[in-house]
Amino acid sequence: MLQKIYDWIDERVDITPIWRDIADHEVPEHVNPAHHFSAFVYCFGGLTFFVVVIQILSGMFLTMYYVPDIENAWKSVYYLQTEVAHGQIVRGMHHWGASVVIVMLLLHTLRVFFQGAYKKPRELNWMVGVLLFFVMLGLGFTGYLLPWDNKAYFATQVGLEIAEQVPFIGEYLKTLLAGDAEIVGAQTLTRFFAIHVFFLPGALFALMAVHFILIRRQGISGPL
Amino acid sequence: MHKGKGMKFVGDSRVSAERKSNIPKDYSEYPGRTEAFWPNFLLKEWLAGSVFLVGFLLLTLAHPSPLEGVADPTDAAYIPLPDWYFLFLYELLKYEFAAGPYVIFGILIIPGLAFGALLLAPFLDNGPGRRPHQRPIAVIMMLLALTSVIWLTYTSAAHVDWETRAEQNKPIPPSSVEIDTSHEGYASYESNCMTCHGGELEGTPAGVPLIGTEYSAEEIATIAREGIGGMPADQFTGSDEELEQLVDFIISTNEQ
Amino acid sequence: MSEEKQQVSRRQFLNYTLTGVGGFMAAGLLISPIRMAIDPVLKPSSVGDYANVGLAVEDITTEPTRVDWKIDQVDGWYESEVSKAAWVFKNEDDEIMALSPTCTHLGCVVSWEGSEKYPNEFFCPCHDGRYYKDGTNIEGTPPTRPLDRFEHKVENGMLYLGNAQERGGA
Repeated sequence: MLQKIYDWIDERVDITPIWRDIADHEVPEHVNPAHHFSAFVYCFGGLTFFVVVIQILSGMFLTMYYVPDIENAWKSVYYLQTEVAHGQIVRGMHHWGASVVIVMLLLHTLRVFFQGAYKKPRELNWMVGVLLFFVMLGLGFTGYLLPWDNKAYFATQVGLEIAEQVPFIGEYLKTLLAGDAEIVGAQTLTRFFAIHVFFLPGALFALMAVHFILIRRQGISGPL
Repeated sequence: MHKGKGMKFVGDSRVSAERKSNIPKDYSEYPGRTEAFWPNFLLKEWLAGSVFLVGFLLLTLAHPSPLEGVADPTDAAYIPLPDWYFLFLYELLKYEFAAGPYVIFGILIIPGLAFGALLLAPFLDNGPGRRPHQRPIAVIMMLLALTSVIWLTYTSAAHVDWETRAEQNKPIPPSSVEIDTSHEGYASYESNCMTCHGGELEGTPAGVPLIGTEYSAEEIATIAREGIGGMPADQFTGSDEELEQLVDFIISTNEQ
Repeated sequence: MSEEKQQVSRRQFLNYTLTGVGGFMAAGLLISPIRMAIDPVLKPSSVGDYANVGLAVEDITTEPTRVDWKIDQVDGWYESEVSKAAWVFKNEDDEIMALSPTCTHLGCVVSWEGSEKYPNEFFCPCHDGRYYKDGTNIEGTPPTRPLDRFEHKVENGMLYLGNAQERGGA
C-alpha cells in the first residue's frame, strides 16, 4: 500500500533522487561515537538543532494563549501557567529550551573551534554559524520581554539604555527597537513580539538551511 | 542515463519516464568503518536524542518556568538582571574602563572586537594546521576569552541571592481577598503596616505578603512589636487593645 | 545472494526501529503541547449561574416586556461585563416565560410586535422572521426552530435567569 502510494507520487514528481540525496551520505568512522566514544563531541550540533525544533514547536503552541499587549500579556501567561492543563510544562519547555540551546550552541562552537574545522574550505560555514549564534542571542533577548513581568520590563529597559549609548545612531537605534523615544510600553512589546516570532525565526531558518546545505556539500571535516 | 533527443517524459511534464532504482549506496568500499547515514547512523543519533529529550522533559517538570509579578515601571526597588547568558555583558559594564566616559568600550569596542574576531576567525587564523598546538595564538585567545566570560558570569551571579530574589518577585494571585475597611483593626493596619505590606495585605518589595501567613495570632502580635528578619522592631506603636484588633483583622482577612 | 538477502532484512529492521524511536521522540515532544491545545475541549463548560435581572415577579404581565441585565463573564484571562436581554411574560398557564431575543435564523434581534403588520407576534426585521407569542416559529418564515428559552427561578419575589436553552423545531 505504502509502496504503491510512493510509486504513484514518484512517477509524477520523481522524488527518488531527492530522497536518495537526503538518505545517502556516508558517516565516517571518526565521527561515530559507536566506534570512538570521544566522538560524542560531534553530537552538539545535532542536539542544537533538536532543541531548535523543540523551541519552534513549543513556541507555536504558546502563541495559542499568548497576547502581545501590555494589559493582557502577563495575565495570559499567568492564566496559561496556572489554569491550562500542561501549560506550565509547555512554557517550561520553551523557557529551558532557550537556555539549553545556548549551552549546546556554545559547546558546538567550541568543538569546531578547537578542532580547527573552520579552516579552508569551510570558512563560509563558520561565519554562517556565528551569525546563527547572534540570531539565537537576539531571540533570547526579545523573548524575555514577552511575559511582561518585572524581570522582562527592567532587563529590556537596561538593554535599550545600552543601545542608546551607541555613538551617533544610539538614539535612533533605541527608538527603532522600542517603538517610542521615551516609553518602554505597548509599542515596544508588539515590536519585540514581531521580531521574536517572525523576523528572527525567518533569519534563523534561512541561515540554518545554508548551514546544512554547506555541510552536505563539503562533508564533515576529517579527523585531526 | 538517457540524455538529449529521444528522452522520454511523463505526459507533457519534464519528469523523466525512466525510473531510478531506490537502492541505498553501498559503503563497504569506503575507508574505515564508514556507515550509512540512513538508517544506521540516524538510529544511533535518535537514540541519543531520546535520552536527551527525557532528561530535558525531567528538567522542565522539576523546575517550572519562573514568572515574576506583572511589570510595574514605578517599582524603584527592583534590581534588573538579564538572563544568565547576558550576565557577562552586564558585569562588564560595571568595570571602570567600560563605564562612565569609557562606556563605549564596554558596549561597543570590547564586545565588538570579541564577536568580530569570532566571526572572522577563519581569516585571522589562516594557517594550514588544524591541531590546537599548531595554532597557539588562536587557541590562547579563545581560552582567554572563554575564561573571562565564565569569570564575568560567575562574579555577576555569585553575589545574587537567587532564592530570596525569586521569593520576593513572586506574582500575587489576582484573586486577592476583600478588605473589610470597617473592621475595627483596619485603622491600625492602615497607619502601622500598610506602607510595607500593601493595601490588600499583598506585600510590597519592602514587606512580605500577609495573605497566607503561617503565624498564629500570638506570633503576629509579637512580630508587630519586636520585628522579625528584615522587619525592624517597634513598627506597631499602638495600645495593646489596638494590637489585638489589628491581629484579629489580619487573621480574619486570612480566613476568607 | 543469501548475504544480499540478509543485508536487506537488517536494513528493514533498522528502519522499523528508527520509526519507533522517531515516534517516541515525537510523542515526548508533542504530548504536552497537544494536551495544552485541546484543553478548552476537555474543560467542563462553566455552568451559567442564575442572575437577578431586577424584575419583581408580581410585575410580570401577560404582555412580553424586554428586560436587560448584565453578567460577569470570565473568558480565559479576560473578565468583562456582558449585556443580556430577554422577553419576559406570563403565558396562559400563568407560567413565566423568558425568551431569548436572538432570532434562530441568523442571530438578529427580534422584538415583540416589532412590525405593525403582525400584531401579537415576535418579529425579526432582518428577514421578516416571525414567531408566535410562545416563541414558536411561524412556518413559511425563515426561522427553523422556536426562540431559545431561559431557565428561570424565583427567589424572594425576584426573577433570576440562567442559560438559554434550545427547544425542538416546529
